[in-house]
Amino acid sequence: MKKFKRASTLDMQKQLRLLPGHIVVGLWCLFTIGMLGWIVAASLSTSPEIMRGEALKFATGLHFENYVKAWSSNNISVFFLNSLLYASCTMVGSLAISAPAAYVLGRYVFFGNKLVRNGFITAMSLPQIMIVLPLFSLATSAELTGSKVVLIFIYIGMQVPYTTTFLISFFSNLSRVYEEAAAIDGCPPMKTFWKIMLPLAQPGIVTVGIFNFMNIWNEYFLSLIFASSERNMSVGPGLKSVLTAMQYTGDWGGLFAAVVIVFLPTLVLFLCLSRTIISGITAGGVKG
Amino acid sequence: MKGVFHLKKDKKMIVCFLTPAVLMFFIIFLYPVVRTIAMSFFRVEGVSDAVSTWEFIGIENYVTLLQTPIFLDSMKNMLKIWFFGGIVVILISLLFAAILTNGLYGKTFYKTVIYIPNIINAVAMATMWITAIFNKRFGFLHNFFDFFGSDLAKVDYMSGSAKFWSLLAAFCFGSVGYYMLIFMGGIERLPLDMYEAATIDGASKTKQFTRITLPLLRGVMKTCLTFWSIGVVGFFVWSQMWSAPLASELSTTTPFVYMYNITFGTQGNTFRNAAMGATVGVLMALTVLVVFFLINLLIKDDDVEV
Repeated sequence: MKKFKRASTLDMQKQLRLLPGHIVVGLWCLFTIGMLGWIVAASLSTSPEIMRGEALKFATGLHFENYVKAWSSNNISVFFLNSLLYASCTMVGSLAISAPAAYVLGRYVFFGNKLVRNGFITAMSLPQIMIVLPLFSLATSAELTGSKVVLIFIYIGMQVPYTTTFLISFFSNLSRVYEEAAAIDGCPPMKTFWKIMLPLAQPGIVTVGIFNFMNIWNEYFLSLIFASSERNMSVGPGLKSVLTAMQYTGDWGGLFAAVVIVFLPTLVLFLCLSRTIISGITAGGVKG
Repeated sequence: MKGVFHLKKDKKMIVCFLTPAVLMFFIIFLYPVVRTIAMSFFRVEGVSDAVSTWEFIGIENYVTLLQTPIFLDSMKNMLKIWFFGGIVVILISLLFAAILTNGLYGKTFYKTVIYIPNIINAVAMATMWITAIFNKRFGFLHNFFDFFGSDLAKVDYMSGSAKFWSLLAAFCFGSVGYYMLIFMGGIERLPLDMYEAATIDGASKTKQFTRITLPLLRGVMKTCLTFWSIGVVGFFVWSQMWSAPLASELSTTTPFVYMYNITFGTQGNTFRNAAMGATVGVLMALTVLVVFFLINLLIKDDDVEV
């Protein structure tokens, strides 16, 4: 509303003409916000209130104990910390592997450059069902099933093609001047990369790092296969187990508190960095 | 001259920098793909059975699979999701992209909110839909229709034939934001002078959209269709959520879910066949390939690249 006041009458007329558009996207947004809002409200209500459809009345006050209960007795704390570990390790690991690869692929002409790039692009469109069975048997023969390391390793490998492809365009757009100046000053090429080129590609690194973090936080299938024990579970399968348990306990308040805990990290991250994330998607046209 | 000198000197660096990424590619993608394809031609019971126990049977897995009613049903479900969901998602996201690139106030706010479902964990998102929207006692749809005294208030969206469509609706709702952003990127890259000329010539906004924007967005459309197809082949978690507390259910089973059931087994299902799972994987990869081919054949890509 504030924006309307500042606008000139000509703009006002234009916005009025666009009213149908405002209504369509506005209703869609209202629905989204309403759904999230209802879940947050329900997470602060009691199960009987929710069942009576009175989640928004807060007749018995705000029940923050739902969160305490979800965090400790529903095991959400374990899933949360696991996901945090998986997502952070994958973010760092895939960047450490992909950034140097993207640098040489984006800036040097050499035999096999095109082949590697095409391989990565093909890998990005490969259905997961094509690769999961051999990976599982590899993990079994290495006697590593049920350990967190396997999942982290697979996640890092999974993100390498996407991360590299995303970063190639960032590196190839940098000016040659930096490397030439560094070479004249006697800086070895590898040092030039770490000290000069990597910091220059920082916007791309940050964007793809956030994408990787969110992708892994929201990953479901591989976590289900490679981290099936309660101890190693990530938030996706973990929340599903809470939902299944809820059928017997009837603890709706606790379930909704768990839902909020699971979506809050990525939501906050997104709202804080929405400009970076949205321009990353719009510009790249790559999955994120 | 300088380039040649540079290249020679940096050979060591190229090898050092590229090896970890390529090695990862070999372990996580190339080796598994080759082994999965090989596996589909053998009789293999358990996922981790040694290669020495595999028994070569040619294309028998494929023949059996294409005669398995559950698999064919799951293919039918996937096709329905791809076709109906695809039409709805592409049309709505195109409409939203057109609306939002038209100079609307609050554009950033709108697109941020519309994109939100994409960044939320699918399990959390599905739980919200199942409870807040579709629950037959306190869900939004129940209350909405109850308010108007409509009989629709009595419908249970989580059972019977409604189940598939409620699943599809929830999935599509979340997908719109992503494709909308891709379309917006495409539209914002189109040259403005063409629209100015069209406006001077008296073409209406609608006409400008259908005659200028749409034809120029063919490349973007191709990108969207490709991503949509890849996404639908990977349709798994939503299906699992809609069949909870059961492990899977016929009306919402996709090939991915079927493959999971026969290779990793589920409660009450002792039949396991890893090779059949591999066969499903190969068929899905082939499906993606065929779709790629068709999209490239049908849509000529001679416009603005996104």
